Amino acid sequence: MIAKPFRFVLIGLVTAILAGCGAEASSTADKAAAPASAEQVARGKYLARAADCAACHTAEDGGAPFAGGVALETPFGKLFGTNITPDKDHGIGNWSADDFYKALHDGVAPDKRLYPAMPYTSYRSLSRDDTDALYAYFMSVKPAKVANKEDELHFPFNLRFGIVFWNMLFLKDSLPDASTGQSASWQRGRYLAGALGHCAECHTPRGKLGQLDLDKPLTGGVLARIGAPDITPAGLAARGWTPKDLETFFATGVAPQGSAYGEMYPVIHLSSQHLSKTDLTAMATYLMGDKPPAPAPLKTVAADAAELNAGRQLYTAVCAGCHGREGEGKPNVTVAMKGNSTVRNADPRNLIVATLDGIKEQRFPNNGAMQEMPGFANKLNDKEMAQLANFLRASWGGQAADVTADAVKALR
Amino acid sequence: MSIANKPLSMTINGKAVGPLNVPDGLMMIDFLHEYVALTGSRLGCGQGVCRACVAILDNPDGTSEEIRTCITGAHFFQGKKVRTIEGHAKLNEKGEVVELSQIQQKFLEHYSFQCGYCTPGFVNAATVLVEKLKRQPVDKDQVEETITEALNDHICRCTGYVRYYEAVKDVVMNTPGLVKGSK
Repeated sequence: MIAKPFRFVLIGLVTAILAGCGAEASSTADKAAAPASAEQVARGKYLARAADCAACHTAEDGGAPFAGGVALETPFGKLFGTNITPDKDHGIGNWSADDFYKALHDGVAPDKRLYPAMPYTSYRSLSRDDTDALYAYFMSVKPAKVANKEDELHFPFNLRFGIVFWNMLFLKDSLPDASTGQSASWQRGRYLAGALGHCAECHTPRGKLGQLDLDKPLTGGVLARIGAPDITPAGLAARGWTPKDLETFFATGVAPQGSAYGEMYPVIHLSSQHLSKTDLTAMATYLMGDKPPAPAPLKTVAADAAELNAGRQLYTAVCAGCHGREGEGKPNVTVAMKGNSTVRNADPRNLIVATLDGIKEQRFPNNGAMQEMPGFANKLNDKEMAQLANFLRASWGGQAADVTADAVKALR
Repeated sequence: MSIANKPLSMTINGKAVGPLNVPDGLMMIDFLHEYVALTGSRLGCGQGVCRACVAILDNPDGTSEEIRTCITGAHFFQGKKVRTIEGHAKLNEKGEVVELSQIQQKFLEHYSFQCGYCTPGFVNAATVLVEKLKRQPVDKDQVEETITEALNDHICRCTGYVRYYEAVKDVVMNTPGLVKGSK
């Protein structure tokens, strides 16, 4: 389907002409390049973790730090994180601090416009002090002679000039909040979760051209196979989260509500576990607000007894050995199913996907672990998968037993 | 909390078992040990990691697969066919072993175990591998990789891996039909 998005680009073109192409012009004289202090580099390192730069810029399995190569699948094609080491040929070795600021703030690199897969939509709110510290840090890392990979985008998204119009339509100076608050902690959390952590990039739904739907901030998105759940105060409280549990989750990857998996697993490893306790408290405060809603008590939901029993039999046959007969889980082996955030999610997508695909063995900070969960795609048919999901939802998730075999089939 | 019992029937090592009245949450390894006195399957980690408890599930389509009995409920096997370590050797009427399976024989010849705790799982895994290779032979240059992949998840604490590996390779290389001609 090229026609519809292309129409948007045309609308963008018209908008651009009407606006007189004013958004392009922004040039500041380069600051005199003062040598970076050790303090500034250290702060930059912390900020790079908070902004989770490594997630896209350091390839897994031994890629040189920040040398790029991580593939990012989008509905528009495949993009690759680039080399942001100070290598002069392949990295950002020839960039000035101003260039770096413009890349993060405007999505404009010296040689090209960046695709908004680079979350400048969020990084735009970074302070100049912080981008300078990040710049100082990246200039201090080991240069890596690693060439950037060519993007594999479909037409017309492979035409970078389209980004000009995309930016005009969708690039905002600030992102809307899902919570309310005034406290210093909330303000700090807003900066951490919004500008640095760029939570919205995955957790806010996106429109047809990949733009964040700013009317629904942090209500959940499905960029990857494992969707990013609703992390508004109401959404979190409905799944039993408290600010304290969120903080534990960010620090260790594991909370009573479950463990990090999917795209959130590397976030814990590369980013949140390294943040200070004060900053983690701030992020939790921001996500749930200065006056966090009380966690919703777990309720059982009525469902067809025969179907529920069929689901229970399946659970006992292939799940209970690890997750416990009553869904209580085992420390460092499996997460509890009772009260699990994924089981409590009104959208059954992640529950179904995790059951179909399984989850690789996980290691967490402080020697925490979860063993490998096998996938059941070949063990259970669509109907059985639905019965199992419905048993979990109604018994331990407080959700309606409304998963259909067709819904499972669609996710295979 | 009361324990609900349910009738359970299955085929174990070619013999019909049951119906027996079995708690609905009982794991298969406990069923094997406590209800049918087949104590050869070993409980190791109890959480599906070490594979000492692996038995063989025979599918209706003629394929076989490993199944971890410590994390699979006994009632999962209702109406199914399963083989355990006790089912490999040929026995006489008195129940005495008269002939080992090829895998068992080679394990003995290569002295492929020390304490023997993980051996039932390894024998079953190797048997499943041989049966798979009968259906889908591999090229000679893939044999080593194929064996490694098949046994990789099984844990042995006495460092017997090399001897397991050699025994299985012996069987694979010397059984007609498991390996395609070298490229």
